[in-house]
Amino acid sequence: MKKKGWKILLTVCSVIYVATLAVVVIALINNQKMIGEWRTIYNFEPDPKSKISPEAQNAALKKKIKSYQPKGVYIMIDSAENKYYLKEGDRILKEGLVSTGSGEILVDPSGKRTWVFDTPKGEFFVKSKIQNPYWVKPDWAFIEEGEPIPRRMEDRVEGGVLGDYALGFGNGYFLHGTLYTRLLGRNVTHGCVRFGDEDLEAVFKASKIGTKIYIY
Amino acid sequence: MGKIVFKAQKQDRRRKKLVVVLCAGLIFCFLGGLLPSVSGQANKAQARNSSKSLEPAQQKEKVLPKGHQKEYRSSTDSSGDHPPIKAILKENRFLEEELSLARNPKYYFVIDIKDRKIELRARGMILKSWTASQIRYSGRPVPLKVTTLSQKSALNPPERRMIKPGEGDTASRPEPVPSGDDKKGNRDKKQDKTAAQEPASSSENFELQALEITDMPGNYELIFDNGLEIAVRSENEKGQKLRRLKENISWYIFQPVKNLLSKNKNLNPKMILYFEDMRQAQGIYWAFIDNIQGIVWLP
Repeated sequence: MKKKGWKILLTVCSVIYVATLAVVVIALINNQKMIGEWRTIYNFEPDPKSKISPEAQNAALKKKIKSYQPKGVYIMIDSAENKYYLKEGDRILKEGLVSTGSGEILVDPSGKRTWVFDTPKGEFFVKSKIQNPYWVKPDWAFIEEGEPIPRRMEDRVEGGVLGDYALGFGNGYFLHGTLYTRLLGRNVTHGCVRFGDEDLEAVFKASKIGTKIYIY
Repeated sequence: MGKIVFKAQKQDRRRKKLVVVLCAGLIFCFLGGLLPSVSGQANKAQARNSSKSLEPAQQKEKVLPKGHQKEYRSSTDSSGDHPPIKAILKENRFLEEELSLARNPKYYFVIDIKDRKIELRARGMILKSWTASQIRYSGRPVPLKVTTLSQKSALNPPERRMIKPGEGDTASRPEPVPSGDDKKGNRDKKQDKTAAQEPASSSENFELQALEITDMPGNYELIFDNGLEIAVRSENEKGQKLRRLKENISWYIFQPVKNLLSKNKNLNPKMILYFEDMRQAQGIYWAFIDNIQGIVWLP
C-alpha cells in the first residue's frame, strides 16, 4: 500500500515535471522563432522600377556621408579618457593627454546663477587663435574663491596662466595650456581643454580658423 | 521464482530509466540556463580577439581576421535568407538613416548586433568603438530607423559635486595667479611652473572630487523612444557571477515562458550587452548623453 502511494506520487511528479519541461521547450522554440525575425523582417526587396542599381546607390550613399567629413587636419578630444588626437583623414598626426571639465556645479550665493563645469560635447570649430593669451576671469572664478566680483575690467585680467597659445571654439571655451601639467589626464577644468606645452604648440601650428574640433 | 526475479529486474530498469530521464531533463534545464544559445546572441569567442575598446589609433589598423570575413561571406552567400543583393539593400537603408544623422553636427551611435560593436560616430567618422563580449536580444525586432535615448537608469547614478563658494578645490582651480611683473614674482611663477610640471608618478593618487569615467556605473539600463531597452553589464564587477546566473535563468526560462503565455504579441525589444572590461561599460555611460540619437541594426 505504502509502495503504491509512492508510485502514484512519483507518477504525478513526473507528469508535472514533463509538462513543465514541455512548456519550457515550446517557449524556447517560440523565442528562437521570434529572435529569427530580427534577421528576416527588415529584408528589403529590390525595386524593379529603380534606374540605379543597389550597388551604385550604396556607393553614392557612402560618398555622400564621406562628403560631410572634415577636409584636412581636425582635432578629436576624448573627455572620458582625457586624450586628444590631431588627425588628418584616418591618420593620427599627434596624440596626448589633456584635462577636461570636472563636472562640478557652482551656485551663485544669490541663487540666481548656476554653472556646470562640463566640457561641451559635439562638433565645434576653431573660432580664434591667440598667442600669449591673457585670462579674463569670469564671475564664477571670483565666486568660487569667495572673492567679490570686481567692477573694473583690469582687475579680471591675468597673464601667463593659459600657456603660450589658446584656440577659442565658442561660448568662452578654449583649448589652452596649463601650469598644472601633472593633472593632465584628469577631469579638473571648468570646461576648457588644457594641453601640455608641446602638444599645444603642435595643435596651434597645425590648425587654422575653421579647423574642426570633435569633443565626445 | 524466476518470473518474480525477472519482474523485479524489469521494474528496477524502469526506475533507472526514469531517474536517467529526470536527471537528463534537469541537466538540460540547467545547461539551457547557463550556456549561451546559438541564435539571439553573438559568439563570445570571436569577441575575445577584440574585447578592448579601440583607440582611434588602433581603429584604422583593426581588420577583421580572415576567418571571420570568410564566415561572414559564406553566411551571406550560402543562406537563403541573406543573398548579397538583400544585404546591400539593407545596408542602403542603414546608410540612408546614417546620412540623416551625419548631416547634423551632433555625434551619434551605431550598434551593430552582428559584430557586437557599439560605435560613436560623427559625420560618418568613428570617434570611439567598444566591442561587447556578448549581445543578447529578444522581443519584436528593432526598426531600422533612427532612435533617441530617452532615459538612462542605474542603481547608483553618478552625482555631481556642489562647490561651496570660497572653498574652491585647488586642483580644479583654473590656473595659479602670477604674482606680478617684478623679478620676485617672475621667480615665484617659474618655481610654481617647475613644481607643476613635475610628472605625476603612477603611485600618486589625486583625490579629486571631479566626475570622472571611474565614477560611472558598470551596470545600467538605456531606454529608447522606440521601446528598446538595453541593459549594459560588466562581467568583472562584484557579485556579477550570481547576477549572471539569475539573468541566464530569467532569459532562457522565465522570459520565454512569459512571452509564450503573454497575450501581447508586440513585446518590446530587449537587449543585454556584456562587457569583460568594466571601463568599456562606463565609457558608454559617459558617451551616451541625454537624447543622443543612433541606429541599432543587424546586418
